[in-house]
Amino acid sequence: MKKILSLILALMMLACAVPALADVAADVAAAEGLTHDELVEKAMAETGPFIVAGTTSRITTAAEAFAELYKIEINSTNLKDLEIYTKLESETIDMVMIQDGAQLLDAIDAGIVINYVPASIKDTVSEEDQYPLAHQFTNKVFIYNNKGDDVPAIHNVWELTDPAMKDRIIFKSPTGEQVNMNFLIMLTSEKWSQKLADAYKAWKGEDIDLGDYKNAGYKWIAEFLPNCQFGKSDTNIAEEISQDTAAGKIGLFVLSKLRSSSVITENLTPAQYAASAEGYTIEPFAGFMYPIYAMVSANANRPYTAMLFIEYLMTAEGFAPWSKSIGAYSGNAAIPEKEGDLPLSTWKETLVVEDPEFILDNFEVEDFIRQYLQ
Amino acid sequence: MEQTLKRKITWTRMKGRLHAWLSKPANIILLVFLIALAVLTLYPLLSLLMETVTVHLGKEARAAKLEVGAHTLYHFKRIFATSENNYSWIQFYKPFLNTLAVSVTSSIIAILFGGVVAFLITRTNLKFKKFVSAVFVFPYIMPSWTLALFWETFFKNVNIGLKTSNGIMASVFGVFMPEWFVYGFFPIALVLGLHYAPFAYILIGGILRNMDANLEEAATILRTPRWRIIWRITLPIVKPAMLSTFLLVFASSMSAYSVPVFLGSPVRYYVLSTTMKELMNTYKGQAYIIVGVMILFGVAILMLNQKVTNSRKQFTTVTGKSGQISKINLKKANMPIAILLVVVLLLVAVVPLVTFALESLIVKAGDYTPGNMTLDFWIGTGLDKRLDQGDSTGILLNPKVWKALGFSLALALTCSVVAGTCGILVGYGVAKRRGSRLASWVSSLSFFPYLMPSLAFGAIYLSMSSKIPWLHGFLLLGLVGSVKYLPFASRSGVNAMLQLSGEIEEAAVINGVPWWKRMLRVIFPIQKSSFLSGYLLPMVSCMRELSLFVLLVPTSNTILTTMLMQYSEKGWAQFGNAINLLIIIVVLLVNFLVNKLTGASIDKGVGG
Repeated sequence: MKKILSLILALMMLACAVPALADVAADVAAAEGLTHDELVEKAMAETGPFIVAGTTSRITTAAEAFAELYKIEINSTNLKDLEIYTKLESETIDMVMIQDGAQLLDAIDAGIVINYVPASIKDTVSEEDQYPLAHQFTNKVFIYNNKGDDVPAIHNVWELTDPAMKDRIIFKSPTGEQVNMNFLIMLTSEKWSQKLADAYKAWKGEDIDLGDYKNAGYKWIAEFLPNCQFGKSDTNIAEEISQDTAAGKIGLFVLSKLRSSSVITENLTPAQYAASAEGYTIEPFAGFMYPIYAMVSANANRPYTAMLFIEYLMTAEGFAPWSKSIGAYSGNAAIPEKEGDLPLSTWKETLVVEDPEFILDNFEVEDFIRQYLQ
Repeated sequence: MEQTLKRKITWTRMKGRLHAWLSKPANIILLVFLIALAVLTLYPLLSLLMETVTVHLGKEARAAKLEVGAHTLYHFKRIFATSENNYSWIQFYKPFLNTLAVSVTSSIIAILFGGVVAFLITRTNLKFKKFVSAVFVFPYIMPSWTLALFWETFFKNVNIGLKTSNGIMASVFGVFMPEWFVYGFFPIALVLGLHYAPFAYILIGGILRNMDANLEEAATILRTPRWRIIWRITLPIVKPAMLSTFLLVFASSMSAYSVPVFLGSPVRYYVLSTTMKELMNTYKGQAYIIVGVMILFGVAILMLNQKVTNSRKQFTTVTGKSGQISKINLKKANMPIAILLVVVLLLVAVVPLVTFALESLIVKAGDYTPGNMTLDFWIGTGLDKRLDQGDSTGILLNPKVWKALGFSLALALTCSVVAGTCGILVGYGVAKRRGSRLASWVSSLSFFPYLMPSLAFGAIYLSMSSKIPWLHGFLLLGLVGSVKYLPFASRSGVNAMLQLSGEIEEAAVINGVPWWKRMLRVIFPIQKSSFLSGYLLPMVSCMRELSLFVLLVPTSNTILTTMLMQYSEKGWAQFGNAINLLIIIVVLLVNFLVNKLTGASIDKGVGG
């Protein structure tokens, strides 16, 4: 009996034992000063499949090119934020591309993912984008259907709060994708609420009457959201607004979706493109922007390959799957935007860029926002 | 001395009793399943309860102002009793009321539609029976969101929802349906009702088909009017089946996620499952509380169901006596009813398939002219250069799709073999020891997984398995699928066994035939078709399952449904539609093959 009992106990211990994880954080720290060749050598010494996961679909194309270049077996998958974090708890993934900086900071603190900045790009990535490392920026901008007599070519975002705009704006539900929520939270910051108050004055010609709202950001949110319809995905929104039957509609969605073959691109005009061409500004913003970060997973089986992949992604070659169309901007300043698009610097001036620290401190604004999603 | 002798005698007696108890295979089976099911269903339930009082990483820890991993009742207070910004009303009470409304309505629709069709098929001389019977289960074979997607693409128009484009109904027929018809409560309840109507058809039809006609004949002789016979005799007999249907449909509708997302969100109509999914991203503790509420509801209905079915004697449906049941002659009404039924079925079961095929061919959304059509999404190459959308090859040339199909099939097969076989064993044990406490425990436990929302079931298994690395991948998926679909198999197993008279096995017992031989040579052959249906239902459900597996599917090995969802979410509609069609075709093919080879089919499933 005792023997059986001890056998069962031993089996249970074996089942529960987590395999001793190599200390990935230490590897990443040690790799800080490695040259490209040293990194390659270390990466090639690693064995087993290399697994990457990302919120951007084009990670698959990049991963295939990387696998081809270094002759390694690679598995890539396109998942949503939550799924990536959930999977990291239970499955070995080497490298992730992830959005929502606020949640990412928590994940870094908890030791789930590790920040790595390749030595080769330290000078070309601006310091503020190095922690966490922003691989690229994505912009969701106001894009309108340019058909019909009532084209919503906005000059001021307060125009979108007008009752006449009811059901003419399409956005993805903020509860469906956190970056949308982050954008709205940013508007309640001192900087953006002030800009919104100024824009209001420019629009109405009088000072803003806040009523019970804490600042102009809250007021804009409360009047903008009820005018919105929520689409399923950014691609779907792009397709819908581009229809001939969708004259008079405006959307706030990912600019790069204009690349999709299912979208009737000629029916669409990004508001900022019109503004830049005709020399006016959209007060006080033309949409918002957020980084997609590249991180080494703490349970990586091939940490050096993960670092090599991150280095690769930060080069022009590694960025190729994104740079061939508008709406993607490398965190590496040495890589220019796609011809015909506006440079990252212009976008950074005209868009609301998310600040993870601010969002972490003000996440309770979400409760306020939720009321207007009903 | 005397005392030791006494003790020895008692001990020997107990040993003898134990030996006698253990010599009956039914007892051993029940005991093994009791332990296994307790581990596989009660343990997840306990870990779920733990999650509702644990602080998780991220916003939750910040909001509760507590350490990650600490225990607290904060989540309960927050979701049930926060009036600030209307939080509890928005996050819980309103979606809760919507869920109740949708689930009750869809159950009623399923029972009415499925029940009426079952009656028409089994008890009347309706025309086109074969077609109706075969096509009626299509909506169940299709993933539920496909009907929702179809509903939207078919009826949407520029006056409602996003107000951007016209679906086929508006652009081709010029009919603009009102918003309540296309989005929100009505279509959600209707689509779910239609999707689960086959449950009613299978359960109620099974009883009607085998019903003892003597009862009705006696009434007919006594000149009882038709409607009175139906009202006083037929309905009471099918009442337990109707209640079972209600339980099944209610529990499934409550945890349905994709249908309310597609048809509810455009008009801001939210239900518990959509709120739960959203909370899983941010406030896990509250999400698990919602799961708990859903389970409580399921258990309450299960108990009600058991009370009703136990309070009266079970109706024996298979007897050795009357063979022929009288069929109602529909006379003049036959043709109109048959045509109406065929049209409705074509609409809900065949037109969606045609639509998917069409949608998988067009390049620009909403343009159905031949110039906009291509087979690229099926067999094209170099698509990344030309279309810059989705994969570089059409789905039939994409090795990933074939790999996923293989993985899906292997998984479905595994779950069906494990769940089906366990279902037969549970059925055998429960039927042999009918009335005993052990049997009723095992019977209830084996039904329990059905009441757990798939998404939460998957999430809990994932967190449980994170401590057991070797369990990941196929093994875990197979285990979860088998446990989740055991209720189908065990129901059909129990019902099939209850129909069998005890003498059949006893004859073999007397001749000293070992148990396994009795099972293989006597019991299985007699109820072969019922058992095979018990294998088929988990198989079909598994092929089209998404939420259960979405978190558990390993990165390196996806299955078709998760692939489909990714495509849909990315908005690569054509690839999505093509894969959707592929799934349905494969399932229909499997169903057809099994049917041709063995005579079993889904419509003879649960208890048929």
